[in-house]
Amino acid sequence: MGYLRLAHSAPPAPTPESACLAAFEGEIDYLFTTLKRLGAAPHEIEDLAQEIFVVLYRQWRTLDTDRPIRPYLFGVAFRILYAHHRRRTREVLCADVDADDGALSPEGSLQSKQTVALLMAALQRLPVSRRAVVVMHDLDEVPITDIARSLAITRFGAYARLRKGRRELAAAVRRLSKGEARI
Amino acid sequence: MKSHIPQADPELDVLLEDGRVIPRVSEVVRARSLSRARATMAAMAVIPREPLSSVRRRSLTIALAASLAMGVGAAVATAALRGRVPSPSQPAPPAVLHTQRPMHTLDVPPSRPSIVPPPAVTARPQRWAHPATAQESYAAELDLLARAQVAYAAREFADVLARVAEHGRKFPNGRLAEEREALRVRALEGSGRTEEAHRAAATFADRFPRSIMLPRLSREPR
Repeated sequence: MGYLRLAHSAPPAPTPESACLAAFEGEIDYLFTTLKRLGAAPHEIEDLAQEIFVVLYRQWRTLDTDRPIRPYLFGVAFRILYAHHRRRTREVLCADVDADDGALSPEGSLQSKQTVALLMAALQRLPVSRRAVVVMHDLDEVPITDIARSLAITRFGAYARLRKGRRELAAAVRRLSKGEARI
Repeated sequence: MKSHIPQADPELDVLLEDGRVIPRVSEVVRARSLSRARATMAAMAVIPREPLSSVRRRSLTIALAASLAMGVGAAVATAALRGRVPSPSQPAPPAVLHTQRPMHTLDVPPSRPSIVPPPAVTARPQRWAHPATAQESYAAELDLLARAQVAYAAREFADVLARVAEHGRKFPNGRLAEEREALRVRALEGSGRTEEAHRAAATFADRFPRSIMLPRLSREPR
């Protein structure tokens, strides 16, 4: 029996590479959702997630893994997406929004699906900077200080964006609910 | 702290509640993303050392090539003024060239007698040698190749090949080895030894796949 204990007593120590990959795997759902919330087109999400992984892997050795990783990942996702959007025109962004609005079709059976689709459509109406704060605070439930740190803005700036973003989001939801954007 | 945060709209609260759910990515997409991440990781594990060394090497090569070109230019100008380039020392007669294969860059003297050299006397400079020795060896390399360039400018290809062979013997892995081998290809081509030039160009491409001289060399033997 001793040999059995010996065989199980020395698990291989995780290398930084395997730890990084495990972290990416653990947060892949979150990353895809975050990219979608931030307005990435469905066909771009996989590539953008890979870009996030490259950043994560490069910074892994200097990353404080004792802290929650999601705010960090959100900050990376936000910057990558923002840079990506800057390469494209704003009009393309709006075109994507209209395309996504198709999720609000009447044949959507589940109400929760409809509400999520409505929320996503409304979020796309917000400017990226305010959308990021609203998503982080109201969906990811990240404290405002961590949001400010992740997005490299002041706390008051984060509060201001949240306040204005929420107003815009509520207005967008009302407009979409009334069917102004559709039919 | 909380007082700074505005109350969310109650209608909005319902939406946000549903929106907090993080759906699971499909297994296919997950597997594909992880596979790509592994591939990225494998590629990046190789890349970090390579670009640094290649960039440094390339910049060094360019600097050396520029300095060599300047030296050669000055020598050619002097030669043009004096009519003929004097060759103060001629250690390797052209006859030696034919006894050696041109592309043996790492060739050592063929038969070394069984006399063990004394340890204090080193036959060639080592990488860990004194810095002054390294500078001297570089100066000697540059001098030798500059003369070879002058000979090439005068279209004396046998002389070029002799000097290139001498450089190859003295500094098989010297800092100007790339320039030497390029010059060898061009000299072989110039002397009409096309087959050997092709072989030398192929060996050059194997040894220096990222050389800035490679495109030109691969065109020249045609």
